[in-house]
Amino acid sequence: MLLLVPLAIPVLGAGLILCFRNPRVATRVALLLGALEIGALGAVVWQVHARGELRQGLYLRADGLSSFFLMGIAFISGLVLVYASGYLRHMGEGRFSSPRWFYALVFLFLFTMISVCLSANLGFLWIMMEGTTLASALLVGFYNTEGALEAGWKYLVVCTVGIAFALFGTIVLYLAAVKAGMSPAAALDWVSLMDAAPRIGLDPHLVKLAFVFVIVGYGTKVGFVPMHSWLPDAHAEAPTPISALLSAVLLNCAMYAVMRYDAIVSRAVGPAFSHTLLLIFGVTSMVVAGLLILVQQNLKRLMAYSSIEHMGIIAIGLGLGGPLGLFGALLHAFNHSVAKSLLFFGAGNVRHHVHTLRIDGIRGISRSMPQTSAALLVGGLAIVGLPPFSLFISEFAILSEAFAQARYLVVILFLVVLSVVFGGFAFHFFRMLCGEPDRDAENSRLIPSEYIAMGIAGSCLLFFGARIPYLFGLLLREAMAVLQ
Amino acid sequence: MGLVGIATEKILSSFSVFLFLTILLLAVARRISTCVLLFSLQSAVITAEVLATAFQEKLVGVYVVGLLVFAIKVVAIPRAFFLLTKRLKTVRDVKASTTPTQSVFIAVAMIYLSYAAVHSYGQAVQVPDDALAAAISLILTGAFLMVSRKKALMQMLGLLVLENGIFLAALITTFGMPLVIEIGIFFDILMGLLLMGIFTFRISDTFEHLDVSKLRRLRG
Repeated sequence: MLLLVPLAIPVLGAGLILCFRNPRVATRVALLLGALEIGALGAVVWQVHARGELRQGLYLRADGLSSFFLMGIAFISGLVLVYASGYLRHMGEGRFSSPRWFYALVFLFLFTMISVCLSANLGFLWIMMEGTTLASALLVGFYNTEGALEAGWKYLVVCTVGIAFALFGTIVLYLAAVKAGMSPAAALDWVSLMDAAPRIGLDPHLVKLAFVFVIVGYGTKVGFVPMHSWLPDAHAEAPTPISALLSAVLLNCAMYAVMRYDAIVSRAVGPAFSHTLLLIFGVTSMVVAGLLILVQQNLKRLMAYSSIEHMGIIAIGLGLGGPLGLFGALLHAFNHSVAKSLLFFGAGNVRHHVHTLRIDGIRGISRSMPQTSAALLVGGLAIVGLPPFSLFISEFAILSEAFAQARYLVVILFLVVLSVVFGGFAFHFFRMLCGEPDRDAENSRLIPSEYIAMGIAGSCLLFFGARIPYLFGLLLREAMAVLQ
Repeated sequence: MGLVGIATEKILSSFSVFLFLTILLLAVARRISTCVLLFSLQSAVITAEVLATAFQEKLVGVYVVGLLVFAIKVVAIPRAFFLLTKRLKTVRDVKASTTPTQSVFIAVAMIYLSYAAVHSYGQAVQVPDDALAAAISLILTGAFLMVSRKKALMQMLGLLVLENGIFLAALITTFGMPLVIEIGIFFDILMGLLLMGIFTFRISDTFEHLDVSKLRRLRG
């Protein structure tokens, strides 16, 4: 029963919000539902911690790995809802672009992502992963401008084709499982597949073929290069709270799916095959995105390419494996989502006050909007991996694992890209923060909702950099235990 | 075994011919409405294959899937497409970036490629080579249509052809996935098409054309 509650709240809530035409009422209802949802997810995480595993029927299941990602979803979506409550204050009443439609679609989007993390069945996982694309496509095209429509169409088509490949991979794995003597009903169930993995691995060809299709398919949603073309467009054109959700939650959910498959394939045919593929995709994404960061002209596209780079880092951590690599990858997934939400919130404020996101059009914001600049600076320092922020710890863990395994090529590329990205961010941020502002922006003080969202994200980055809270560490270890 | 039994046994590989035929015709078709009709025919062939599998393996769930395929892909989706083309009042040409001759050659090359690809896997999986090759070439053709036709509607159609290929591959190798999952997948496809329909309306409102190759403001 416990697993049905966090799925029921967003679906029913989405319907409920649509009933309120008044934007202020709709916003309050959304915040209330968000608080309820966080409570429900917290209860699931707590029960998983107490009992080790929760199951509901054939298709729903939560273990340590799911609860780690659910915690991330709850945290980030809470921040995003709070931030959005202030961000949408300028939005008028359009046909499908009013606050109530926005919140209803956000809750449907949350529903699909939570279902991804709660699915016990790989077929169900696929259905919900496609659901995330469908639920968020309208949000990407929400502003209905030419750019937003182009981004939305591209997002829908590229991701649907990508996901179709993942479906093919799922079918091939199913075929391998059935051929290995599993019953058709159990051959898509993750736990049964894990149990039977050594048996399935006796015929390694099909398992490997399945993983190739799955990593290309779900990798499209993760944003691995070269399947990343939708990502910068969607992130740049979507309303800012949605950019934060896409970057901080959706990409992690797709990575979660890759992890589930990686676990099965590693057990079936040994870790070498899947981990090598993850390393290749990870390093390619990191290098290409790191170089493209240098030439960006739009603040939100800059953040989007940085997301691709960080997904590459996570993939490298997974590909290296080992306790430190896995620790680093999972911690980095969480840290990146916090830092990136903070940066997107900052970018949203800049857009509201300067009315552009072109980097060469933004000047001297450290004078005209000091609080937002402080948030951007904290986020920027954190995202390039400087101490004392938490991303330093996770990147350092992944790097030490690479050193321990004597993978010097990975180490060198990793360090080079990190320095390039540092240079790129320093260059872009210096141009935006310093100098004389074009005109005195009035009313640049943060409103409470922005203050709360950015304050929590920033202090979380700093706090996690100093020490990892005990409870969080416990959940992280439980998540690692599932994968090892 | 009766005559029906023998017929159903052979249907998977012999019907591949019809699928190859639709692939080649899709490559040369110049009008969107022709392509929609061809997709409908292709789905009808696949329906027959599903029903034959259900008859042979005596699986009730597969009959249900067959009915779903018929209702959705042979009837509902083509009708929706015709409605959409009427409402959008768009030019009926597919706006291909390759000439019909080139397209046919590419389609033939892809069919050949599929046979080469399944040759090694076909024996391992114990399914007829022809059927698997037809499935793979449907996937390739779908992808080809998506990249070479400029109209938004043709990209949707290419996606459907690609999905037909994946569906056929699942059918012949595993007799389909469990029923609940299959229904979920159908639901996703329908929702996806609905959304793409919404987007085509918005694109034609905003840009006054449906040529997605002209959507290229966002780069780099």
